[in-house]
Amino acid sequence: MTLRGVTRREVFRGAAAAAVAAAWPHGRARAQGFLANLAPEEPVEKTLQRLFGSRPIKDGSQVITLELPLIAEDGGNVALSVEVRSPMTPQSYVKAIYVLSDKNPRPLNARFNLTPACGQAYVAANLRLADTGDVRAVAEMQDGALFMVKQSVRVVVAGCAA
Amino acid sequence: MSAEMGQVKIRVPGSIARGSVARARALVIHPNERVERKDGKWVERNHRFVSRVVVNYLGLDIAEFDTSTSIGENPSFGFAFRVTEPGTLKVTFFDTHGGRFEGAAEVKPA
Repeated sequence: MTLRGVTRREVFRGAAAAAVAAAWPHGRARAQGFLANLAPEEPVEKTLQRLFGSRPIKDGSQVITLELPLIAEDGGNVALSVEVRSPMTPQSYVKAIYVLSDKNPRPLNARFNLTPACGQAYVAANLRLADTGDVRAVAEMQDGALFMVKQSVRVVVAGCAA
Repeated sequence: MSAEMGQVKIRVPGSIARGSVARARALVIHPNERVERKDGKWVERNHRFVSRVVVNYLGLDIAEFDTSTSIGENPSFGFAFRVTEPGTLKVTFFDTHGGRFEGAAEVKPA
């Protein structure tokens, strides 16, 4: 049976997904962090859509410096640093830096929430990469503007399905 | 490295000018478990990984990171902070099993 071309099953599936999405950033999950309940396994495009919806993402190559090795011997420990050239004042600052790996089953590695007291939009971390592919950094400004850069990393020994 | 789980190490530059921006690094000894897989499907259990990191300087939370299984073993994070007053820089790591690991470093601007 279809309702304007949508099957009953799809309606239920949509409702369930909406309920999960509504419950996700709150309660226990919030107390222990936004990713404490494992994010769904999905392609990176879906993660970007889940995080940013249809908001335009501009090319960030003029403002973001993404530092990663070209070849990572060990995918379980890949040094990353991201620096966004932006003032860090209450009027204008980088609100968050997202790091995503295209080939990881759960592409969002981390979200770094910053404040003007950081003085500089700089973060670093040791990533786990499942396979050779792009790593993206997305900067979200306080006004909601989004900038993205990506760089390919060749992974020799996989960090396993992270 | 035979360090105990939960040990936190924070590195701040030795000499910092008041009003300048300094970069620090914080590390926790933690397995940060990756999701186990069996026959291609992931094992349903509460995997132990660091999910949240809070950076506190002079009693004020200045940054907060949401992290996942795709951060390596012994998660280590770098960040910047504007040095205003002498005081404590505190970093707290929370994991999915209720673990709370805290470390502190004294910031002494010249």
